[in-house]
Amino acid sequence: MPVNNDAQTRKDRLRFTKNKLSANLILGAIAANALYFVSIYSSDEGSYYYKLFIGASIVYNLVFMLVAFLSSEGIKNYKLSYAFTSVLIGVLQVGRIFYLPMKAHRDANPVADAKQATVMGTGQFRYVTICLIVSAVLLIAAGVIGFMKTTTLNGYIAELERNKQEGTDDE
Amino acid sequence: MSDLKLQHLEKIYDNKVQAVYDFDLDVKDGELIVLVGPSGCGKSTTLRMVAGLEDISRGNLIIDGKDVTRMPPKDRDIAMVFQNYALYGHMTIYENMAFSLMLRKENKNEIHRKVLAAAEILDLTSQLNKKPGQLSGGQRQRVAMGRAIVRRPKVFLFDEPLSNLDAKLRSATRREILLLHKRLNATMLYVTHDQTEALTLADRIVCMSMGHVQQIGTPLELYDTPANLFVASFIGLPPMNLFDVEICDGQAINSDFAVDLTPEEKEMLAPYEGKVVTMGVRPENVVERGNITVNVFSNENLGLNTLVNGTTGKHKITCKFRGWCNYKAGDEVKVSFDRKHFFDKETTKAIR
Repeated sequence: MPVNNDAQTRKDRLRFTKNKLSANLILGAIAANALYFVSIYSSDEGSYYYKLFIGASIVYNLVFMLVAFLSSEGIKNYKLSYAFTSVLIGVLQVGRIFYLPMKAHRDANPVADAKQATVMGTGQFRYVTICLIVSAVLLIAAGVIGFMKTTTLNGYIAELERNKQEGTDDE
Repeated sequence: MSDLKLQHLEKIYDNKVQAVYDFDLDVKDGELIVLVGPSGCGKSTTLRMVAGLEDISRGNLIIDGKDVTRMPPKDRDIAMVFQNYALYGHMTIYENMAFSLMLRKENKNEIHRKVLAAAEILDLTSQLNKKPGQLSGGQRQRVAMGRAIVRRPKVFLFDEPLSNLDAKLRSATRREILLLHKRLNATMLYVTHDQTEALTLADRIVCMSMGHVQQIGTPLELYDTPANLFVASFIGLPPMNLFDVEICDGQAINSDFAVDLTPEEKEMLAPYEGKVVTMGVRPENVVERGNITVNVFSNENLGLNTLVNGTTGKHKITCKFRGWCNYKAGDEVKVSFDRKHFFDKETTKAIR
């Protein structure tokens, strides 16, 4: 089908190019989460994390990175469900801020000399929070872009099919 | 598209081995030139010099009036298609075709239009989302050509592009290249060792041997009036039958037969009276009647024609007869020659 104007060409290009922008944004989100992951458990009060939830937290991070990577591949190939997944895990990243970093920032455990030891200082709290926010923003952006591109592509393919069908009917 | 001038090109490697001697050729705009010759004759080296992949030791290369002898390959505006396709396996066909344009940072919409147009020409539209590994050899070679087409270069170079294909696919792809040339009216330089490709594709053929140009001419000129013994024996399938004969009293004589010369041949060979020359007869010029006895040792039916191999006493001969023949080993056939070529025994040049 001849493609003459730029808007039409942009749509037609989607048929042959992958959604690398969204995929790369998600890879960026994974990198930001990895920075969060390697920083979160560093604390003067080591025993704070040695509870059951450290296991759950590590598993969540690993599962998150796996799901994010799958989303990256899916969204690259214009799978709508992965665009939603990307937005969902992005929102969860925001939600996480209010659990572990914030909880650790607020909590303080008594130590031997009865002084209060800080589990997570303000600097570390800001750093890991920024990591989670960057990760969330990238994921949500990737999801929104993926959603827009995928719906545009699906609409365009449907239009092509209709035109093809009408062409066949005319014959 | 552009004209191309190869002015006295020579290639001498660092170890002093000379691969190409004094290659001089003017390629007109839109012409398809085929460089043909046996392996090691310097045809690919010449092509690589034009592409800029080999330094030119001597001579000049002019494209569209501009001297590009010392110019790097990327600035020559030339596209090359290789025997092994040289496609990126991890990219789709679309990405492979668009890649060179993306590197040049062309407008993405423009790239898209060019790729679609090339895919349409090469009937690859339905394959654009596939990877090279999912395509057949012929399709991959079409992708390689598509990658060249999208750039709209001044000159296309083909380095034995059909050598990796089976016989049937080769024939089909050959037709496609011919159609492509007609459609694009592009200047093309095509290297092959297959004379069938050369004869069917070329506007003009350059026949090479040992780094030297042996003859430049149209396919018919090379077939009909070969300049020397090498061209005569290289062009034509099966190759020309060659006999040493003595010119004596209007006859060409050897130990096995005597052939009467035509008045034109007598005049042409007058200076060779009493001397030995090489007589060439194409298998298709051997006629199934006459006074020369051929002892058959094999009979190959090709459908429309039959190849009969035999001997005339000491000399081997191949005859190409029309129709279906059923000669058996040991049969005798009487033949004559309806067209003969003569070559000087010392210089190997054609006698005219």
